[in-house]
Amino acid sequence: MAHNVRPSGYSKFAKKQTYTRRMGTKKNRAQMLLSERGGGLSLLILVILVLPLFLANNYHYDVVVNIGINAIVVVGLNLLIGHAGQISLGHAGFFGLGAYVSAVLTARYGVHGLVALPVGALGVGILAYAIARPVLRLSGHYLAMATLGVGLIIHIVISREAWLTGGPDGMYVPPLEVMGVAVYGGPVWYWIVAGALILAVWLSLNVIDSPVGRALRGLNGSEVAAQAAGVDTTRYKVMVFVLSAVMAAVAGSLAAHFSEFVSPTKASFLQSILFVTMVVLGGMASTFGAVLGAVMLTLLPQVLADFADYEQVILGLIMMAVMIALPKGLVPTLTALVKRWVRRAGS
Amino acid sequence: MTLLRVEGVSIQFGGVQAIQDLDFVINPGTIHSIIGPNGAGKTTLLNMITGIYAPSTGAIYLDDVPITGRRPHDLARLGLARTFQNLQIMRTMTALDNVMVGRHLHLNRNLLSCLLRLPSVTRGDRQARKRCVELMESVGLGGYIDAEAGAMPYGALKRLEIARALAAEPKLLLLDEPAAGLNATETKEIDEVIVKVARSGVTVVLVEHDMKLVMGISDHILVLDYGRKLAEGTPEAVRANPAVVAAYLGAVG
Repeated sequence: MAHNVRPSGYSKFAKKQTYTRRMGTKKNRAQMLLSERGGGLSLLILVILVLPLFLANNYHYDVVVNIGINAIVVVGLNLLIGHAGQISLGHAGFFGLGAYVSAVLTARYGVHGLVALPVGALGVGILAYAIARPVLRLSGHYLAMATLGVGLIIHIVISREAWLTGGPDGMYVPPLEVMGVAVYGGPVWYWIVAGALILAVWLSLNVIDSPVGRALRGLNGSEVAAQAAGVDTTRYKVMVFVLSAVMAAVAGSLAAHFSEFVSPTKASFLQSILFVTMVVLGGMASTFGAVLGAVMLTLLPQVLADFADYEQVILGLIMMAVMIALPKGLVPTLTALVKRWVRRAGS
Repeated sequence: MTLLRVEGVSIQFGGVQAIQDLDFVINPGTIHSIIGPNGAGKTTLLNMITGIYAPSTGAIYLDDVPITGRRPHDLARLGLARTFQNLQIMRTMTALDNVMVGRHLHLNRNLLSCLLRLPSVTRGDRQARKRCVELMESVGLGGYIDAEAGAMPYGALKRLEIARALAAEPKLLLLDEPAAGLNATETKEIDEVIVKVARSGVTVVLVEHDMKLVMGISDHILVLDYGRKLAEGTPEAVRANPAVVAAYLGAVG
């Protein structure tokens, strides 16, 4: 995927040398910078290191930390939607569930936050596994409906069981404690979420460029061919569904401790749709597209807040414009442009 | 010692008897062709052998192990690989990645190892990539290695399916009409590829419509008509069989 592809330029006779040359030598610097693993990850780390210089107040930190939390969810969801080609309209449910497990265990039962987080992740993982076995036999519209139902049920349970969750009003969450010290405030959370995001991106890039990632894209491209090649397609769909749900749950736990408050809106249907839109807007099957999608759709409402009543309309128009102009999403379209430009400059 | 044994296999879809009480064996190291007019049940038979359909009655054995009703990915593990009559290509992936999917069972596919990118994963991938490039070159796709599969011509995709199937290092390779839709030159090239594959020790089952291709390269031919065995034997014997001539040419024997 890192190589430039120009199929029309190949001829039967001018073969071999292109590949043997490429295998023999290192990629040139421009190719390296354009690859996701080389350039993308370094760029992300650079942005994360420099960004605090521009953050002036708590509000700024609040927005940026929320971007990071959303980005973790979307990077996971991109593995499911972009690579395996399976849709989920219920991931806010898993996000909310992670948040509420942390909230309830720490606030009501005095469990340590660092224990509650993995408990939430594990619990959501088990739940996602139990749901995925029957649900992932479906595809297309039916899968969308089923995952939508899952998200709605989680949302309803959270809203109704007020004795445990505080109901629609939400509940207070104690700050995370590390070695007796409360983790508190924007700057500290910035680095925690930044670390978690870099980890999520790294894990995602690793999976994509591995036998598992190819099996996922393979079953997306042709399910029967993948099966004939020995890929247990059901197992892989379940695996990636659980992985993305667990990533959402971890992000949810972080969000709960960061804002020290949880409410059912975090688990709402609208939030699920927003996560999916972030994947599509940034670019399907692109890890950094997922990050950029999260940046755009978390930031835009804040920027557009001045327009008050028209905020939603303008947001909708921007999204429509992007999808019409760049149907493959932001990052894939832009990297293709830059690659073409580099190739032209190089030749 | 037979590689594949089909015993009394039947399957019906609704009221249609697609295959009726079929018996045959395939010996290792041969090119075994299954031919017959359109609708004779050739692809249905292939789909039963590879686990896409389960036969209504009868049994199928691979190396004397019963495989009736096993799932396709299980059968791949036992050494079965196949291509598809209507292409099944992963179009958004590169040609090489398509072949790499074929290599799936030979790679470290433990989720945790892949998440952490352990050296065993990258080492395996590197070796597999080398092997897959060799395979692509051997079927004449050396010029398409980094090409996006969706942008390749039809004839090349037919060969890409063969390379992907071979990447699994199968014992038994089932080819479903590999020459369908190809012109005379391309058909001849596919011919050569099939013979080369068989020489390398892989047993080949060739489902074909085109008698000419089959006669030249097969060791053994099974003729189907309306889901039943019409004739079986060497190409010469089959060609001389009046029932086969009747089925193909509509002559009254």
